[in-house]
Amino acid sequence: MPDFRKPSHLPNLRSDGQPPHPSWLPRQRVGISPQMIGRYPDFDVMSAVDTWDHATKKVVLARLEPSGPMRFFDTEQEKTLRAFCDVVLAQDSEPRVPVAESIDEKMASGQLDGYQYADMPDDRETWKAVLGGLDQTAGARGGHSFAEATLADQEAIIEDFSTGKLSGGIWDQLDPKRAWSVCMRAVLSGFYSHPWAWNEIGFGGPAYPRGFMRLGPTSTTEPFEKHGSTSEDPADVVKGSHS
Amino acid sequence: MSDLLRGLLKGAVGPTDNDSRFLLDVHSRELPGEDTMRRYAPNDEVDLVVIGAGAGGSVLAQRLARQGWQVVILEAGPFWHPDEDWVSDEAGSHGLYWTQKRIIGGSDPIELGKNNSGRGVGGSMVHYAGYTPRFHPSDFSTMTDDAVGADWPIRYEDIRPHYEQVEAELPVAGQNWPWGHPHKYPFSPHPVSGAASRLWEGARRMGIEMRVGPVGIVNGTFGNRPHCIYRGYCLQGCKVNAKASPYVTHLPDALSHSVEIRANCMASRVEIDQSTGKATGVVYHQEIGGQEVLQRAKFVAVAGYSIETPRLLLNSTSSRFPNGLCNNEDQVGRYIMVQGASQTAGRFPDELRMYKAPPPEISSEQFYETDSSRGFKRGFSIQTVSPLPIGWAEHVLADGHWGRAMREYMRDYNHWATIGVLNELLPQPDNRITIADETDPYGIPIARMDYSLCDNDRANVAYSTKIITDILHAAGSQDVLTIHRYAHLVGGARMGSTPSNSVIDANQRSWAVPNLFIADGSACPTQGSANPALTIMALASRLAQQMASGAAMSDDAVVRAGRGASEPARR
Ligand SMILES: Cc1cc2nc3c(=O)[nH]c(=O)nc-3n(C[C@H](O)[C@H](O)[C@H](O)COP(=O)(O)OP(=O)(O)OC[C@H]3O[C@@H](n4cnc5c(N)ncnc54)[C@H](O)[C@@H]3O)c2cc1C
Ligand code: SF4
Repeated sequence: MPDFRKPSHLPNLRSDGQPPHPSWLPRQRVGISPQMIGRYPDFDVMSAVDTWDHATKKVVLARLEPSGPMRFFDTEQEKTLRAFCDVVLAQDSEPRVPVAESIDEKMASGQLDGYQYADMPDDRETWKAVLGGLDQTAGARGGHSFAEATLADQEAIIEDFSTGKLSGGIWDQLDPKRAWSVCMRAVLSGFYSHPWAWNEIGFGGPAYPRGFMRLGPTSTTEPFEKHGSTSEDPADVVKGSHS
Repeated sequence: MSDLLRGLLKGAVGPTDNDSRFLLDVHSRELPGEDTMRRYAPNDEVDLVVIGAGAGGSVLAQRLARQGWQVVILEAGPFWHPDEDWVSDEAGSHGLYWTQKRIIGGSDPIELGKNNSGRGVGGSMVHYAGYTPRFHPSDFSTMTDDAVGADWPIRYEDIRPHYEQVEAELPVAGQNWPWGHPHKYPFSPHPVSGAASRLWEGARRMGIEMRVGPVGIVNGTFGNRPHCIYRGYCLQGCKVNAKASPYVTHLPDALSHSVEIRANCMASRVEIDQSTGKATGVVYHQEIGGQEVLQRAKFVAVAGYSIETPRLLLNSTSSRFPNGLCNNEDQVGRYIMVQGASQTAGRFPDELRMYKAPPPEISSEQFYETDSSRGFKRGFSIQTVSPLPIGWAEHVLADGHWGRAMREYMRDYNHWATIGVLNELLPQPDNRITIADETDPYGIPIARMDYSLCDNDRANVAYSTKIITDILHAAGSQDVLTIHRYAHLVGGARMGSTPSNSVIDANQRSWAVPNLFIADGSACPTQGSANPALTIMALASRLAQQMASGAAMSDDAVVRAGRGASEPARR
């Protein structure tokens, strides 16, 4: 287990700009986290649910309900959307936070963010264009749809998308860099509003009416929160306390 | 009250002429008086209609109601019931924001939505962060001093008593303030979290002075408003009533003085009598697809936020004003401003959990004034902030990470602390609100906002980003992530000394329509690098005083021009 006091796992500090493969992370021991990995294996934000106010509880617990069939995207688009969400969030196995569903829900109910770039279509059209564009690029590069392309090909396409390098066909109808920001806004909000993601990152979650008392510097952990995993060998810690 | 006395009596004396803190209920967050408030008929000619129950509009209404004026506030958004409507959750707070479509253009389009304005009783301060600094005296004369920006027709001294009054009403907590015009705050500074104290240490090592506050967050006993519980959800609406917004600071008192807040009413235009040229009232929609209603009034004040105020004026066309109300000189919507709000985050060995405590904690105005050695005019302030997970994910994305790298930085969330700047970006005529060729669900044409940075702006942003990054390195951070963003709109219907360079005069009365006032952030000719809400409230407080005394109705050209550039002091 690496030492989390050190930053050696952070992408900016690594030669390839990528983190180590997540297999080095501890498995979640309580509650659920996406792919059951995380840094806080003994923390389950749901253990505090009784301390949340009812309005917040209603909103957050609704995210754990199974979602119905897609309303906004058609079946072809759905496949591409799911593949896109999996790749940009590195969700490569179950349990997955249902991000595609949350985007579909947002677009179907017209819950948009209140602004539109003058040279871009409505967010809903942007999404449809982007999904079409991903299939178009995947087809041109490997003869498959985006969903059927290999992970390496998918990642290469997303890398080009995120840096504004895709062009031709559908991509010329919009500003790809802005389209990337429109899509990722919805993706990130869908993923990091889910309690499973809070478990993965050790976020304390809703805090009304309870509040937080441990602001630091002495302690930053409430009684219900748990410290992140460390590189210490528990056996050594126990031995140490007896010597 | 003298500054010495304010220091001595810290936390012990409340504001006079505002009972909001006693009118609130200790056990529920409802704005008391919704069911029993006075109601006027549209045909009653009330003294004043205010458009927008936000920072500016609420203060104006509360003040004038205390003077016996009959006031109706039209508010496009809902009458909040915080116990039910507000949640301790980021994504769940989407409904607080103005999410009806606006078009953004220019070479540096400003992303709006959750980051810019609110919709509902209380306005944007319902979900503002809570920083409440004053402008500096220099902000009122940047053209004379530095040949950039504009001179205001008023000076710092004109609103200073109103700053003091509003600070007592919010109430503001913070350390004694050494910058600008030095002053004290009515409440003591809040405790500082572990995350912010790391940043403070970094600043100290670089010789940068930072101070705790100033924030409009209760720290102690204040009527029936509870103490802050440090839960960190200020940008999602304070369910505790600890953070100041007009919803708790001015509207309770307004309702108890016979103001009517007509929520869910979207104003579409100001009605003008074509023979006299005076405003006769405001036309609004009570529901989508419903009939238009005219509320008659002797005076009209527009306070709909820097985008909606110009939009409403531009949409109020008539034969006298074919290009929009007050726009015969082509000034409406121009000189719209945002502040640069880049943020950088630093990584530390310990778990800091920056989501605890209010996001606004400590700040510095050491770089606020022009320093010619930096290579640009005017300056910036430095403030600690603390994004919740979705905000943090956007920060990580902005630094270029997605997929596995995004997940890795997100898992590291608890080890990070974030510091930001507010750059004074300069007012420019082509940064402007205009009308797009689409309509909203009411059928009202929507706004378009064009924004482009100038060279001075870019130099300011680059310099300030380096300073905060240096602070993180000095604090010992192990990695740094940066996001460039913008916040805080003001301008668009600015005050000035002549109709050819402004929309309103030194008393915020429109040059073109004798009984029309602008009472929100749109009035500001410059923005300094202080967050605007306190100044917007103080300006509305002064405006109320000028309207109540009749001074605002003066047609004396010198009074109207105020202390313009060519006129250092009043005759
Ligand atoms: C995330 C965030 C953080 C912020 N943090 C800070 C901070 O820390 N410190 C600070 O000083 N400022 C901060 N601000 C900015 C501050 O909230 C605003 O500058 C201030 O509230 C603006 O006041 P206003 O009176 O101009 O408009 P608002 O307070 O926005 O009020 C305008 C009201 O008018 C209503 N309205 C608009 N058009 C119509 C119409 N046609 N008919 C009827 N009603 C209408 C709107 O619904 C709204 O309620 C922040 C803003 C945001 C979004
Ligand atoms: S941190 Fe304090 S001021 Fe902010 S929302 Fe929570 S209780 Fe309110």
